Amino acid sequence: MDDDVFDVWLRVPARPENVALARQALAGLCEALPTSPKVLADVKLAVTEACTNCVVHAYPNGLGEDAVFEVEADPGENELLVIVRDYGRGISPNTESPGLGLGLPLIAALSRTVEFRGGTAVSGTEVIMSFGLDDDLGDGNRG
Amino acid sequence: MPTNRAELSVACGPLAGPVLGRVIAMLAARANLPIDRLNDAVLLGDTIAANSRGAVRDGRVRITIFAVSQALELRVGPLVEDGAERIRSAATLPGTGDVLSRLADDVRVESDEQGEYLLLEVG
Repeated sequence: MDDDVFDVWLRVPARPENVALARQALAGLCEALPTSPKVLADVKLAVTEACTNCVVHAYPNGLGEDAVFEVEADPGENELLVIVRDYGRGISPNTESPGLGLGLPLIAALSRTVEFRGGTAVSGTEVIMSFGLDDDLGDGNRG
Repeated sequence: MPTNRAELSVACGPLAGPVLGRVIAMLAARANLPIDRLNDAVLLGDTIAANSRGAVRDGRVRITIFAVSQALELRVGPLVEDGAERIRSAATLPGTGDVLSRLADDVRVESDEQGEYLLLEVG
């Protein structure tokens, strides 16, 4: 269990119902932080999108023992860092994706910064997002 | 990894209660616990979050939650030696006694090479 860096670490099977579990965990975290409802809504939506990507795209061959996703969160003084990680096939172009392709742009729009790590040559994907806790407008990098 | 299982590690302090409570409530609902038992499970989470600091090695509460039909099992640990007893003692209230035993249907202690585990079952 590599869980000793971030304040909150959650690992769950990559199943649709566990997206809501991750969302609830982040909601609980934000409940304990001095942040606005708009920031909380942005965090929840971005994390939901990132976790949904893990469930839909990371494990095309189905659920094995290691078909999991992890959420790590680390609140700083003015910023919340969130990492969503899977151990699946990584990011690659997928013309047969069942989604609309809006997930990653939405994450980028909602977060202050976002970084994607992983790819076809690397097992797994990490989405590293930061959110401004004192951003009352909840605009992320939109303005 | 069994499908209805969540592993959670959270730093002791003000974050532990809210995070643990939300995760436990969600899994208790998924296990179809009745509302009074769901509340008991959430109270167990709050009790563990509030009383674990002296029972863990590195300032982090680690808990694995298993949701099965009509029951929830919480596995807290690894803990330091006598960590389970420390949590139970810290969670003892005058006039009420051992809060964990009041809320959970079963309270057990197990050990392996990593340390001690406090197992709580609600359902």
